[in-house]
Amino acid sequence: MADVIVADGLTKSYGKRRGVIDLSFSVQPGEVFGYLGPNGAGKTTTIRTMLDFIRPTNGRVSVFGLDSRADSIEIHRRSGYLPGERALYERLTGVEFLAHFAALRGDVDWRFVLGLGERFDCDLNARIRSLSHGNKQKIGLIQAFMHRPELLILDEPTQGLDPLVQQEFHQLVEEVRAEGRTIFLSSHVMPEVERLCDRVGIIREGRLIAVEDIGDLKARALRTLEIHFAQPVPPSAFSRLPGVRDVEQHGDTLRLTVAGRLDPIVKAAGQFEVVDLASHEPSLEDVFLAFYGKGEKGAG
Amino acid sequence: MVRTVWTKTLRDQRRALGWWSLGFVLTVFMYAAFWPNVHANAAQFNQYIERMPAAIKNMMGGANFGTPEGYLQTELFSFLGPVLLLVYAIGAGARSIAGEEEAGTLDLLLSTPLARLRVLLNKFGAMLSATLYLAMLTWLALMVLGPLYELHLPLGGPVAATLNLFLLALAFGAVALLVGTATGSKGAAVGVSSGLAVVTFVLNTLAPSVDALKPFRFLTPFHYYSAHQPITNGFNGIDILVLFGISLIALLLALATFERRDLAT
Repeated sequence: MADVIVADGLTKSYGKRRGVIDLSFSVQPGEVFGYLGPNGAGKTTTIRTMLDFIRPTNGRVSVFGLDSRADSIEIHRRSGYLPGERALYERLTGVEFLAHFAALRGDVDWRFVLGLGERFDCDLNARIRSLSHGNKQKIGLIQAFMHRPELLILDEPTQGLDPLVQQEFHQLVEEVRAEGRTIFLSSHVMPEVERLCDRVGIIREGRLIAVEDIGDLKARALRTLEIHFAQPVPPSAFSRLPGVRDVEQHGDTLRLTVAGRLDPIVKAAGQFEVVDLASHEPSLEDVFLAFYGKGEKGAG
Repeated sequence: MVRTVWTKTLRDQRRALGWWSLGFVLTVFMYAAFWPNVHANAAQFNQYIERMPAAIKNMMGGANFGTPEGYLQTELFSFLGPVLLLVYAIGAGARSIAGEEEAGTLDLLLSTPLARLRVLLNKFGAMLSATLYLAMLTWLALMVLGPLYELHLPLGGPVAATLNLFLLALAFGAVALLVGTATGSKGAAVGVSSGLAVVTFVLNTLAPSVDALKPFRFLTPFHYYSAHQPITNGFNGIDILVLFGISLIALLLALATFERRDLAT
């Protein structure tokens, strides 16, 4: 099957402000593609170009093989969109809001919409203005999923979602994946992308620096390992082990920066008396560090 | 009720429109209630106005307090009527696109399979219908409340005057919609269009009596609104065409700029 999204040399400049520069990537049908980068890296700019809210300075992006500029209406018809800036019509109730968008789209199964409302445990009869942040998020999500689109374009979908709703959202993503539909999801949180996505594109300062399989990415990511020993242990016992990039000593504790498998370190630590051991999820910064090598400034 | 962008936009305004309706009806009521008194002292009023500077006389629309038409032309249709309806239409025009853009809801609205053209036409339609409603309500109030105070009017004149009032407000509303759509800024839209309204209003007031400005009197929409005295003389095709033409051109320019530009987040 043909790729769902193809960006080809996509560039958007905003005068002095950074946009995105020469992006090329493709998203395959049925995959959950994570678009990872720090805030301000150009994630929203990329998404808004796909949906023709802004126009490329150079290059092009196509969705379903259709040109983002010439065929935007057809692209909109077949996609669901969750904006990064969650502004809804505050004066309407949830039902009115969803009914409005269902009417604008046509072809929406209202029972499915109400079903989503129940799943998210969302009070659809309250005025949106009176809802909590999390409840507004739910309504935004229902709006994106309600017409069962072939492609979902979600800008930071779980930002501000409470854990229960997050779980429901993850389940929804799994269902969409199982039905062979496609999701393009932006995020600045590595663990979330790791959990949901098949592949990830990493964007930094407007440039796509890598498109990787999640598994490969994790293997390359740096993680921090903190080992608290009973007595001070010399850093030299660890600094030459494979994958160790950096060792810092703080009293009885060693803080190691490690790429790849932890096995050699754990075995080496076994020679000493270990009081506590903590491994931290690789943060986005750590992922970038893995790509840029240790010591580069301004990562993340 | 909220099946289209048009009806949804009107629904958003239903409460505000309720207050506007009250305002227009009360304004008409006030002028109607003053009529018996004005009529009784028409001669003095007319003398008083005769002594005023020419520009003020122009502003008051030629003023003849002896007839209901002259009285309404001077009072309702020369100042308060246009001011109120322009304020409404300019606000509605400015909010059309720029309001959604500033509120951050425009992305979501345009992520539906609606072309920008269609969204803009819906917004224009909402502004047009609400402005038309307020104009018609004013006319209706005049015809219903007037006779209670001996303010008897023929059918044609007030309809022609109200139509011109509607078209004048629509023109400035369309300019506000154009500026708002082109810039994405409600403030710019209200500022530019109300600034234009003041300048062209003053030009219309001064032009007939200031020789240097006389040739420019055709440049102001207010000339087409009132020079012909529609409440007395009825419909004038050219006035209607020019006023509606302004709206149409502004709408077409708005469509052209909207299609071309990037939307703000």
